Amino acid sequence: MIEVREVTKRYGTKTVVDHLSFTARPGQVTGFLGPNGAGKSTTMRMIVGLDAPTSGEVLVNGRSLRNSTAPLHEIGVLLEAKAVHPGRTAVSHLLAMARTHGIPRSRVDEVLRLAGLEKVAHKRVGAFSLGMGQRLGIAAALLGDPAVIMLDEPVNGLDPEGVLWVRNLLAGLAAEGRTVMLSSHLMNEVALIADHLVIVGRGRLLADTTVADLMTSEGVRVVTAAPDALRSLIGGPGVTVTSAGAEELFVTGCSAREIGLAAATRGIPLFELTPQNASLEEAFMDLTRDAVEYEAAR
Amino acid sequence: MKITPGGVVASEWTKFSSLRSTWITTGVSAFLLIAFGMIASASFSGSEMSAVDLALGGSTLAALAVGVLGVLLGAGEYTTGMIRSTFAAVPRRLPVLWSKSLVAGLAAFVVMTIGAFVAFALGGAVLNDAIGSVSLGDDGVLRALFGAGLYLGLVAVLGVGLGMLVRSSAGAIAILAGGMLILPGLAPLLPNSIADAVTPYLPSSAGSAVMALTHGDGTLAPWAGLGVFALYVAATLAAAAYRLRKADA
Repeated sequence: MIEVREVTKRYGTKTVVDHLSFTARPGQVTGFLGPNGAGKSTTMRMIVGLDAPTSGEVLVNGRSLRNSTAPLHEIGVLLEAKAVHPGRTAVSHLLAMARTHGIPRSRVDEVLRLAGLEKVAHKRVGAFSLGMGQRLGIAAALLGDPAVIMLDEPVNGLDPEGVLWVRNLLAGLAAEGRTVMLSSHLMNEVALIADHLVIVGRGRLLADTTVADLMTSEGVRVVTAAPDALRSLIGGPGVTVTSAGAEELFVTGCSAREIGLAAATRGIPLFELTPQNASLEEAFMDLTRDAVEYEAAR
Repeated sequence: MKITPGGVVASEWTKFSSLRSTWITTGVSAFLLIAFGMIASASFSGSEMSAVDLALGGSTLAALAVGVLGVLLGAGEYTTGMIRSTFAAVPRRLPVLWSKSLVAGLAAFVVMTIGAFVAFALGGAVLNDAIGSVSLGDDGVLRALFGAGLYLGLVAVLGVGLGMLVRSSAGAIAILAGGMLILPGLAPLLPNSIADAVTPYLPSSAGSAVMALTHGDGTLAPWAGLGVFALYVAATLAAAAYRLRKADA
C-alpha cells in the first residue's frame, strides 16, 4: 500500500506537487496519469525517498521507507530514466543490488528469466536498446519480491509483445494481492491495465476515480419531433438539457433508458437516442485541459 | 532477507569489480607509481634524495590516478543514474558512502602497497650509481613503503568523498587536481614566513611525509603528516555525508 498524504514539493518558488493525497491499495492496479510536467515523476521520487517532500508525508506499507530493514522487499521501482551504470552487465547490476539484502544469486537468474533477458545477461547495459533497458528495470523492481511495485512509464520503448508482457505481468502481480502503481501520460494505455485512476495536473489531484466512472460521465444525444415538450418532461434537479439543433437535444444527468421511457409515456416520437460515451482519451483531455503545462499552439 | 552492513560492503565490491574502468584506473595508478619510480631511480644523481624517495617518485602522479579512481566510483553513481537503484536498495544512504570508501580505500591500499614494494625492488635494480642503495631492513624503509600504500588508499577515499559531494566527475577531478597538484605550486607565492608555515599542512605535503625517508624542517613527521591528511579525508567525507542526508538524490 502506498499512502501519499497532503504532499507538497517546491523547488525554489515553483510548486511541482501541491497538497497531493491519494492511496494505492493492494490487489489493484493504480494508474497514475497526467500530462507531461504534472509532477508524476517527482511524486514517485518522493514515494521511494529520493526526494524529500517540502511538507506532508509518504508511507509505504504503513511506514517510512527509510526505517525499513528490507526496502527491496517493501517496494520495487522502475523510474523513468535509466538507473544503471552502462559499463556493467545486467547480471552484475542485479547482483550488486541483491547483495545489499543478501538475496541469493538464484533469484537474480530468476528475474532475468522472467524479464526475458537470459541471452543478454552478460552484455553490458550500455549496449541495450530502450526496451531491453526497461525490461532490466522491471527485473530489478521484482528482485526483492516486493509487496508494492511502482513503475514510471513502464511501456516506453517496448515493442507490442513487450507491452502485452508488462500488462499481463502487472495484472498477475495485482492478482497476487500486491499493490501495483504505474504512471503514464497516455490514457488508453493505462485504461487497459488499471482499475483505479489517480489523475494529476500541475501537481494537483484532478480526479481519484475508476476507469468505469470516468467513461460514464458523459451524456445522451436525443433527436425528437418535440424538443420543447421533452425538455420540460425530463428537466429537473441534476439534469441539464442543452439544445444542439432544431430537433436535437443533449442531456446529461439522465440515462438513455429513462429518457426513452419518459418519451414513450407521453407519446413523444424519438428519431434518435444515443448515449455519448466520450472516449477515455477525451475524458482525460477534458479533465487536464486547464492543467497542461506545455501545449502546442492552436 | 534484509539489509546488513556486510551486504552493503559486498554490494559495493560487486560494483567496484564489475566495471572495466575501475580495473584500468587501478592498473594505471600502479603503473605510474612503478614506472616513474624506476625513471627517477635511474636518472637522478643528486645528493639530497635517498633510494626510497626516488623509488616512490611516481607517488604524485599515482595519487592523482588513484584519486580519479575514487571520484569515478563516487560521482559515477550520479552521472549514470545508478544512484536511483542504489538508494532504492539502501534508502538510509550513509552505509553506501562508508562501504564505498572502505572498498575503494582497501583496494587502493593493497594494490599500491604491492606497487610500492615493486617500485622499490625495480628502482633498486636500475638505481643510479651516484645514490647509495638501501635495503628493506634499513631504518624507515618499511614504514615508507607501507606508508605509500596507506597514503594512496586514503587518496582513493578522498576521491570517493569528493565524487559523492560534488556529484560530477569533472568537478570532483578538478578539485582533486587543484588540491593535490596546484595548491603546493601556489604556496611559494605567499610571503615566505606564511608559506613556510602553511606548506607542510597542505594535503599532498602532509600525506607524502609518511613516505619520506629523510625529512627536513619543511615537512611534518611521518605519522603526523598522514594524520593531517586523514583529517582532510574525514572532513570531505563528513561534508559528503551531510549532503547525502540533507539533499535530494
